[in-house]
Amino acid sequence: MSESVEIVEKKTVPSEATMIIGLPDVGLVGLIATSYLISELNLEEIAYMDSDLLPPVVVLHKGLPHAPLRIYGNQNLIAVISELAVPVPAIYPIMREIVDWGQAKKVKRIVSIGGIPVESRQTITEPKVFGAASNQELLDMLNKSGLSIMNEGYMVGPQALSMRYSVSKKMSAIALLAQSFYNYPDPEAAAMVLKEFSRIFEIKVDVSKLLEKGEEIRLKARDIMKRTQQEMNRMKKSQEYDLPLYV
Amino acid sequence: MSKKREKPSTFDTMEKYLEEIEALADELMESTFPEGPSWNTETCCLQALSNVFVTSREVIVTADLPNIEPETVKVEAVDENLIEITAKMKKKVRFADLGIYHRQGEFSFLRCQGRVHVAFDAEKMKISCKGGILEVRFPRKK
Repeated sequence: MSESVEIVEKKTVPSEATMIIGLPDVGLVGLIATSYLISELNLEEIAYMDSDLLPPVVVLHKGLPHAPLRIYGNQNLIAVISELAVPVPAIYPIMREIVDWGQAKKVKRIVSIGGIPVESRQTITEPKVFGAASNQELLDMLNKSGLSIMNEGYMVGPQALSMRYSVSKKMSAIALLAQSFYNYPDPEAAAMVLKEFSRIFEIKVDVSKLLEKGEEIRLKARDIMKRTQQEMNRMKKSQEYDLPLYV
Repeated sequence: MSKKREKPSTFDTMEKYLEEIEALADELMESTFPEGPSWNTETCCLQALSNVFVTSREVIVTADLPNIEPETVKVEAVDENLIEITAKMKKKVRFADLGIYHRQGEFSFLRCQGRVHVAFDAEKMKISCKGGILEVRFPRKK
């Protein structure tokens, strides 16, 4: 059985761009933030992923079929989103392909956007954003920018693999993770992470519409959140609550 | 010199078996009870996301209830193991409002059910709702 994973390019892909990855995960923070960024900056669909490992699904938008895992971009930015909860067995090859493709396209850096599950999320008015980086230089840059660093802890899922593969390929990678609900869509956390992204990389994004549409997004995102939760359970995502031991 | 392979401990073996059983149970549940849609046009309800946590003292049920009128939240113990939450939405939501034009129907309520496998005191529940996140705490019966 063929298990190919291929990124099919539809338009010219810029080089030296920043690549943002926002796949469905904790609180759908990455997906909500990246989708909003795509729509706010009017990014064009430049590529999509074709893989036998993904369910046989197309998403219809305005009557036209689209691959669920798509890549958008402009001259400076490449954004990867999936409207499908990525099945656990597909995560490894898909993340490997995304990082390899990013390297071939000479991306400047990879930024994974996501959430950190926090049990007391409903008591937090303004979710805090934490960063992690693939090398000390980037970590220093994040530190200097004033971002709190996730010093110790586990990362599980797409952003963990994007970090792992980027390190092995000596690529620059950053994870921006906002405190969020584990399995409720969290547009506020997405807005906070976008604010930090906008501040650190000097890309202007107004998150006010995202906050205004929060309730509508929470209603619309129930199904994908439910399916994402099933995959998170399979990948033992709850390990992110664990305390690592390194003496 | 070849390294002698360590024999897995009984706990490791048990954990592995438990994980396999858990995965099989998940698969069985999915094939036996295929999921229905997250909406019901007959009852005009959208299914809300919810969680049930059991601690040594309490049963805590949370639900994501966006777009609701907080004063309409109703929490009911349907039977000794089943809790049902319903709430009226601030305004009706039609499929078209969600960008869906090939279906017809409108929804006035969010609803969810949570199954609890320990005894709890439904009379003494405490309800709080902040930002559309409902939290209901029931003391456990001894």
